[in-house]
Amino acid sequence: MLFNSIEFFVFLPLVFVLYWMLQKQKLAWQNGLLLVASYYFYACWDWRFLFLLMFSTGLDYFAGLMMQKAKNEANRRFWFWLTISINIGFLGVFKYYNFFVDSFADLINNFGFQVHYYTLNIILPVGISFYTFHGLSYVIDIYKRRIEPERNFVEYALFVSYFPLLVAGPIERATHLLPQIKKKRSFDYSKSIQGVKQIIWGLFKKVVIADNCAFFVNQIFDNSANYSAPELWFGSILFAFQIYGDFSGYSDIALGTSKLFGIDLLRNFNFPYFSKDIADFWRRWHISLSTWFRDYLYIPLGGSRGSNWQSVRNTFIIFLVSGFWHGANWTFIIWGFIHALLFLPLLLSNSNRSSLSNSNYSLKDFPKILITFAFVCLAWVFFRADNLTESWNYISGMTNFNDLSFQFFYKNSKYSLISLICLLSIIWMIITEWRNVKRNNYEIQLSKCNLFILLLMIFFMGSFKNQMSFIYFQF
Amino acid sequence: MNKFLKKIVIYGLASFIVLNLIAFLSLYFLGKSSFYKQQFVKNGVKETTFDYIVLGSSTGLTTLDTKLIDSLTHRSGLNISIDDSGLSSHYLMLQHFYLSGKSTKKLILAVMPDDLENEKPKLNGNDYRFLPHNNEDEVQTFFNEIEGDNKIIYQTSKYVPLIGVSYFNTELFFPGILSIFQPTKRNLFDQNGNYSYPTINSSKKLEKTSNKIKKLEYKNPYLTKIIDFCRLNKVKLIIYQSPIYKTEVIFPDELNCVNQCSLFNVSEFFYDEIHVNSKGRRICSEDFSKNSFFLN
Repeated sequence: MLFNSIEFFVFLPLVFVLYWMLQKQKLAWQNGLLLVASYYFYACWDWRFLFLLMFSTGLDYFAGLMMQKAKNEANRRFWFWLTISINIGFLGVFKYYNFFVDSFADLINNFGFQVHYYTLNIILPVGISFYTFHGLSYVIDIYKRRIEPERNFVEYALFVSYFPLLVAGPIERATHLLPQIKKKRSFDYSKSIQGVKQIIWGLFKKVVIADNCAFFVNQIFDNSANYSAPELWFGSILFAFQIYGDFSGYSDIALGTSKLFGIDLLRNFNFPYFSKDIADFWRRWHISLSTWFRDYLYIPLGGSRGSNWQSVRNTFIIFLVSGFWHGANWTFIIWGFIHALLFLPLLLSNSNRSSLSNSNYSLKDFPKILITFAFVCLAWVFFRADNLTESWNYISGMTNFNDLSFQFFYKNSKYSLISLICLLSIIWMIITEWRNVKRNNYEIQLSKCNLFILLLMIFFMGSFKNQMSFIYFQF
Repeated sequence: MNKFLKKIVIYGLASFIVLNLIAFLSLYFLGKSSFYKQQFVKNGVKETTFDYIVLGSSTGLTTLDTKLIDSLTHRSGLNISIDDSGLSSHYLMLQHFYLSGKSTKKLILAVMPDDLENEKPKLNGNDYRFLPHNNEDEVQTFFNEIEGDNKIIYQTSKYVPLIGVSYFNTELFFPGILSIFQPTKRNLFDQNGNYSYPTINSSKKLEKTSNKIKKLEYKNPYLTKIIDFCRLNKVKLIIYQSPIYKTEVIFPDELNCVNQCSLFNVSEFFYDEIHVNSKGRRICSEDFSKNSFFLN
């Protein structure tokens, strides 16, 4: 059930009405309904993986309780490592098994040996990276004695499986979401209105920007050798907007949907293409993942404390792991590596936090924004390409200025029209976001007029015929 | 809660009405234009009776040049073929042609072998072009009886135009807007309804093609409907097969048939395996002009 499908727009109002009808009942009824709805939502993808989700939920819940009950440190450690190993094990089997087998075989082959190996035809359970990380943060927080284990199974299960965030985040923390689940919720008019606005804004970014950009991006990336340097550059720029529209659009719909149930989710994006440097970009892009890695990997490794060498090592680890989290492909690892390289000068010059002290924008910030965006676009090439060879071919094509044609984008009336739609919608988004950035708005603010224009654009410029699945579902 | 629901219902309903009005207007203006063949037949063609019409998919559109045939045979013809369509759409187009107040003595039905043998025809890629005319009973009946993906979009658009217009927005909404300013603009066909593929070097595209022979059977139920329609309206039906590269097609004897399938096998005259280019079109049109089925 996609967020931009008819089924979801039947499912959501139904759950919404039932949920608030239970407002006067005990909290358990509301939570129970949300849990059933969440499991139904997940089963619509593939009911078989519902058992995996339930097992993972049950394991973390039980391990949390056992860690608290443990009579000695060894016992605690046992339960901690058991649940960590099983969670990572599931992720490893479903997401990374074939990658490791293939990479190992390639390595052996390079030394002149022939190995016979088996890869499995594994379907990646949707959302596994997200709900595994929910569970991991919960278990780690209990182990580190930051939180007490949750005793109510329904409330814990809802924390892991809450449908707005189940398949593509944001990656929640027990410290943020569980207290909201445990608290009696009453209907909040302004929160619900803001939720609807956010859903419309998210739909616009997904259906109008991302899916229309995908029309060009897929053709260019599938056959990059046939395109000129300017076309390849525009291909990567359009992919930057496609992935932003797709993922931040999803997050907006998730956050907006959750607001309708009176629950605030963690913010995942903060207008990232207005970043002044790469460090700033990572404070604004997929915030729930980058803060997760910061809190559960970077800081335990020592963070930026210690020697320069240790800081550099930790930076590379966090970026490489972050890249690898996205998928079992060397392209994601190189993508993370490029970001680490771009981050390095800021780290060594101790200016990686300079944009924090100055959140206002002046004219001299625009070159910085453009340069940061250009680097980000370049790195996206690796993220989008199917393999490293294609990435290199794409990058080398971008630097081959013998052919400066740009005809692809207007080769017939259909292409010209979709180019125009992409251009108009991206400009509209930039202007709207810029207004919000200037006002330091935490959330996108939209007037009634803006909302109506958005609806017009969704219905008359949205790509419904060539509807694409959300990119982050594959992670 | 009640305030929220009230507001959502009021604003939702208001938006729904306004968006539907815009969608309706875009269909209305498109319906009054000559943009697609369906609208051209209704609004862009002045004559009402024709000696012949060519009806088919892209092969019908790009193989027989009615302008050239008219000049060679002193007859008046019109090409009402629609690319990316099949016999089901041709049947609807034929009905639409008559409902627009036009008639013909002969129908040249340009067919494709696979389509003739298709027992369960489905909605075709360009059937959305009939949506501006979904007030015609025949159009609505067609959408109700034929199967296909997203059938519901076609069925419900008569009552909720927003559904069809937003789903096919680049194909319907924007041409609708364009039609307000340029109502006589035609989408890739000339004043006689013809289109021609450019002459390009297609030998590379065609080099892997091997020789084929196909023996056909008429299985498509819409062919029967077309035959019945022609009988009812006293139209002489001629089945036409355009050239297919390195392919021979054998038709059953039961219908009048002009078979140019193996008229030539030179890649120079082809745009791709099933479409001729402008040179090929000329040869086909000249050869067709001499055919006795057509002349008598």
